[in-house]
Amino acid sequence: MLKKILGLGVVLAIAGAGTGWVLSASTPLPAEVLSSLPEGDAARGEAMFWAGGCTSCHSAPGAEGEDKLKLGGGLKLVSPFGTFVAPNISSDAQDGIGGWSAASFANAMMTGTGPHGENLYPAFPFTSYSRMDIQDVTDLFAFMKTLPAVAGKAPDHELGFPFNIRRGLGLWKLVNMSSGPVVKEPAAGADVDMDVWNRGRYLVEGPGHCGECHTPRNPIGGLDYSAWLSGADAPTGEGKIPGLDPASELGSWSVPDIAYYLESGFTPEYDSVGGEMVEVQANMAKLPASDREAIAVYLKALPAAAK
Amino acid sequence: MKKFVAAALCVCLTASAAFAAGDAITTRKTIMDSVAAAAGLGGGMMKGEIAYTPAAGKAAIMSMAAASHSFGAFFPEGSEAGDTTAAPAIWSDAAGFEAALAKFAAASDAAVQASGKDGPADVDAFKAAFGPIMANCKSCHETFRVKK
Repeated sequence: MLKKILGLGVVLAIAGAGTGWVLSASTPLPAEVLSSLPEGDAARGEAMFWAGGCTSCHSAPGAEGEDKLKLGGGLKLVSPFGTFVAPNISSDAQDGIGGWSAASFANAMMTGTGPHGENLYPAFPFTSYSRMDIQDVTDLFAFMKTLPAVAGKAPDHELGFPFNIRRGLGLWKLVNMSSGPVVKEPAAGADVDMDVWNRGRYLVEGPGHCGECHTPRNPIGGLDYSAWLSGADAPTGEGKIPGLDPASELGSWSVPDIAYYLESGFTPEYDSVGGEMVEVQANMAKLPASDREAIAVYLKALPAAAK
Repeated sequence: MKKFVAAALCVCLTASAAFAAGDAITTRKTIMDSVAAAAGLGGGMMKGEIAYTPAAGKAAIMSMAAASHSFGAFFPEGSEAGDTTAAPAIWSDAAGFEAALAKFAAASDAAVQASGKDGPADVDAFKAAFGPIMANCKSCHETFRVKK
């Protein structure tokens, strides 16, 4: 009897490990999507570059002007799981992503899968980029290929066990990834143009990845979607990141107030943008005015967070 | 008795240090409120929401100039704690903070120079003088302020 139980235990353990191994694999985009990727348009891709905020992490810290287009990486993101170092994503064929195919780029952006099938760390916000249109992703790739090549790899991440095991991220993704929209519809009673609201939702939840900082995280570092955009502790440990929901200070701002803030960096009281948001706002200022307005319309019509 | 006096002295010194730090926080916040009010006036005129007059333009510029030369004096050691959004970097990177203040003062001084006795003649002249001052808000708040 005891032997039987032991035997069953061994079988279960092997099955469990096997299942874990399968579940922890990376899950790239389906072959039919990868084989029929739309042609990228670099001119259109520039807007996605600013909406996505690529330069804020991947250019040299403190870069200004043209230097913001040199994506050699190196910025350190300190987190409870260790320190992530933003990699070189310049067009350099050896050290950057110049040698990547469009399929590799789409896989990285939308599934967090590297070119060799490895799982990427969600410090890279593919958890939001997964909501992007595939056309926008290939446009962005076409634009990034026009940017300068920067030689030199960024240093490796500094992570302790078990966070240094990339395989485990497959399980993390199973629990924490969602590619559908977060907010299903505008708050009840909100009088919005649905085309504008949809555009705002796309920008905020997808390329803009606003939720990555403005939404609290669960103990394993996934976003708590029930408290969407309700504010969070700053990942750096200093201060708070404000909520954007109706219960937050933003609730008293008008749509033009929010759009003006994204354009100029000034609040209705003429306080200025600060902290990491300075970089974000500089990116947002480069978007068409209609996109900033769409973001504002979406934020003003956010349903109350459940927190 | 000596011990008691010494202890009492210690308490008094500590209390007055705490009081001075609180005072510094209140003072620098008031200065920054006047900066925000000047930015509101200047920004409103730049946006066309408030009718431009040279006197108002000069008032906004002079508020900025006064603040840029005085603000930095109200960050004594110990005033990082309390009801403040001052970032620890003000003390850990004192040279960087000094440099940011110097940039703010230089932009303000240039605007004072440009505005002359009566203030910038029209709103375009005002924008050219005031815009560079406003650019300092963000660059300084990026590193030296923490929202709580």
